[in-house]
Amino acid sequence: MAKQKVIRIRKLDKDIPKISRGLCDQMLKDLEQARRPVLSAVKCSLDNSSYDAKRGYLMPLAKRIQSELNVSSIQKLSRTVFILEILLNNLKTGAVNTKRELYYISKGLIKSDKFYKPLDFDEQVDCDSIVDFICDMLEVYREEMNCFANDRGGQTYSQHLVVTEFLPDGTKAVVDLSSLGTTPFQPKNKPQQFKVQKKGSLKFGLIVESEGTANTLVSNGITKRHPCVVIGAQGVPSNAVRGWCKTLQDQLAIPLYFYGDLDAYTLQNIFRTLKAGSAASLIRNSDFSAPQVKFLGLLPEDVEDHELHCYSVSASDPSEMRSLKKAKDALQNDPFFRDKKNKPLAKILKWLIKEKKRCEQQSVFSTDPKNPKVLEEFLINKIKKKKYI
Amino acid sequence: MGSKITTSSTAEYFAKNLQQVGFSSPTKAVLTTLKESVDNALDACEEHSLLPEIKVSVQKVSKGSTKNVDLIEIMVEDNGPGLELEDITRVFGEYLASSKFGKGRCSRGQQGIGISAATTWAQLTYAAGVQVISKTKRMKKAVKAQVDVDIKKNKGVLKNKTTIDWNKPHGIKIVFRIDGRIQLNGDGGLITYLEGTSIVNPHLNLEYKLLDNELKKIERVTQEIPKVPPATLPHPHTMKLGEFIAHAHLYGGMSLKAFLKKGFSRVSDLVVKSFVQNGLSKSFLEKRLSSLNDKNHKDIFRAIQSTKMSNPSTQSVLTIGEERLSKSIQRLGNVDFFSVITRKPTICDHKPVVVEVAVARFSDSKKPQEESETITIQLLRFANRVPLQFDKSSCAITKSVESVNWKAYGLSQSKNSLPTGPYVLAVSVTSPFIKFKNASKETIDASEELVDEIRRTLMQAGQKLSRHIRREQKAQELERKMQYIESFVPILIKKLADITSASSTRVKKAEKGINKILGRDTKMAKEALKEAQGKLDHLKSKENGDKNLSDSTLVKNLKRSPQSKKKNVAVKQRKSS
Repeated sequence: MAKQKVIRIRKLDKDIPKISRGLCDQMLKDLEQARRPVLSAVKCSLDNSSYDAKRGYLMPLAKRIQSELNVSSIQKLSRTVFILEILLNNLKTGAVNTKRELYYISKGLIKSDKFYKPLDFDEQVDCDSIVDFICDMLEVYREEMNCFANDRGGQTYSQHLVVTEFLPDGTKAVVDLSSLGTTPFQPKNKPQQFKVQKKGSLKFGLIVESEGTANTLVSNGITKRHPCVVIGAQGVPSNAVRGWCKTLQDQLAIPLYFYGDLDAYTLQNIFRTLKAGSAASLIRNSDFSAPQVKFLGLLPEDVEDHELHCYSVSASDPSEMRSLKKAKDALQNDPFFRDKKNKPLAKILKWLIKEKKRCEQQSVFSTDPKNPKVLEEFLINKIKKKKYI
Repeated sequence: MGSKITTSSTAEYFAKNLQQVGFSSPTKAVLTTLKESVDNALDACEEHSLLPEIKVSVQKVSKGSTKNVDLIEIMVEDNGPGLELEDITRVFGEYLASSKFGKGRCSRGQQGIGISAATTWAQLTYAAGVQVISKTKRMKKAVKAQVDVDIKKNKGVLKNKTTIDWNKPHGIKIVFRIDGRIQLNGDGGLITYLEGTSIVNPHLNLEYKLLDNELKKIERVTQEIPKVPPATLPHPHTMKLGEFIAHAHLYGGMSLKAFLKKGFSRVSDLVVKSFVQNGLSKSFLEKRLSSLNDKNHKDIFRAIQSTKMSNPSTQSVLTIGEERLSKSIQRLGNVDFFSVITRKPTICDHKPVVVEVAVARFSDSKKPQEESETITIQLLRFANRVPLQFDKSSCAITKSVESVNWKAYGLSQSKNSLPTGPYVLAVSVTSPFIKFKNASKETIDASEELVDEIRRTLMQAGQKLSRHIRREQKAQELERKMQYIESFVPILIKKLADITSASSTRVKKAEKGINKILGRDTKMAKEALKEAQGKLDHLKSKENGDKNLSDSTLVKNLKRSPQSKKKNVAVKQRKSS
């Protein structure tokens, strides 16, 4: 069967199969000589990340994770080699899988042969961490191992956007988003294979934390009255959402604004991940973050100016308390919030810690319940008056 | 016109408020009746230095007199000294007739309420009190009679009295027929009570037959009869004003000074002097108690309370002892290992108290290991060697157990909860002045000092227990490591060979190499196990040497648990290496 062509995200000068085989060969050599083989990977965590406002995203520092073969690590190393073989096979044939598919493929192989039973994964997350470890070890994107994230978020609405999708078989599909009504365009998990073009005068993009709220704005006519693109992030932006926003940012050169809740979780887990990438994917943040996105709100001054309904962070809610603790940690340890350029964002975190309050993005609706356009007017007004960070 | 005010007899009061003394439900009624009967038998044997032989039978006779209850027959027979005829009516038919009331001794019964309450309950639900057979040493024939309570007069009434031949030198057999329901297991169960009683009474021979279950015999593990220390006089700081005045009335004829010295412990001439320095009017000292009014008493009491005094003597408390406790707990089943601690008697809230803890892991649990690890441990609470079976949550013992971080000793535990696992934790508090929360003596009042003392004992027991658990964990670790090597080595080598298309010669060489590498790791695990075993052995030998020290622990590693059977392989290997 002919090898399936996969559209690449970046130009890569690495021969992944060759490097992988070399690595396995070295492990075998070490074992032959009764030496402990060591696998080394980039440490993807906040304490090994740096942020430069000019560059715009989190990058790894020099720390590495060393996995030396011993009784405790032999399970991890065996699983690594097992999954690596599946991935290498995919690269060979051009087959593409999501992380979830990889989990079930490996489960199937393990269950069908008793010999592999000790490798069995209890949860998908165990399999995912092995896939991530392989990518961090080879210093390649997961997508470059033909493994893509599951589809989630990124639903896009506009009257002024035309998307051209380049398919692996060499054909292309053109989608005019104005023809979709209130049905969103779903960029799927390979946003880099799209070319986007403005149709008429497209002025800005609005990324909304809640997909439901994005849809409400569109249903009430925001895209008809304003030349914009509206995107639903659906919580913490997936790789696909981040890649899609970067594509829009780079190809359309329009300002992008993010709108979400006023709380520590939104600011750190959602907005920071969208703008500067995540600590868990340090090696690919350059292609999976949109550094020019601005924080439109909610801001503490919006709460005061519009008397928005806030509520106290409940001390009995462990997730909320954790979020506040995380905010304190972020101020101390997250290079993004420690950067001078992001002082205004750090100031919001401090406000949240001090006030122990939070405000939902939907609270704006209740400032004028009879006006369905109230949120749209609020957002457009903020953009006009440049009330964003 | 106002209604006429009348005075009720004590028996009338209790007959209407039996729920206050343990008869609040049909299940509790059966347990309380059994408990009062057994406790009385044990106290009587102890008083007369007799090794107790107690037989118990609890049977369902028929349906009860009201809905949803059964007619239950409870029989308790002992080899105690027996009771003379006149005493039979007082003990079983009169409230507050006790030889121990306010004596300051570590006896099980204190007030003389419990057994009379059981007679009342029988009378209320079966229309007949208790059947008693009693024989004392000097009687040729035993007396058999029915005792009822005359509720109006608080007097026992003897009915159907006869004499019979009884082939026993002395003893008592009592039979109650009451409305109730039988619960065998769980916190309020009869078996829980009987097993608990046997733990803290190592000198007891107990035979019991419950419903259709087989006759169970629990043999004594010691011939030594506990010597209940002599009664102690009350310490003035443990009294409330009312109690102080009542106490003074008992000594009415003498002078205040003489009363203070004779009626209390720790009061000497020097202490009386200190009372005076703290506001006690010197002129009162030689006055007769009967000439002092309530205001005088108040002033005296205040001066005493503000005087610093030495703590009461701890000689009046009774301990079970570590050796006896450790033998006793093994009577309950196959014990993997256990740890026993007897603390030195100490003072809590101005009262002498001793805390003893036994914690054991049983290997004959019918539940699978994973399941038994998630089930809360069985906590057995004892006050003056009587099991406490209700109102667990507010008891000082429960609070103390919850406050200990058992995770540090290798047990699983959620925050501020009882630990989990197949363990039995027995905590005994003994004191001549235990403060209960209610008249039915189900819960010990949780004062800060007492909770702290119990907590300290538990922590000591936990530390000793952890030696066993650590050794077990090390053995498990070694087993896991060996299992890992067996499972993963062939997979790793095969996959590496597949990816690199390596020759079989390389594969064989690599297999040799990896076994050499991982062999070093298991060697380290074996050494860790050896070290843990060494620590445990050291502890055991140290304790065997220090048996006489009251603060030491007797710990035995009796046999390995079922879950560690597999580990035997690892242990054998260690031995052979």
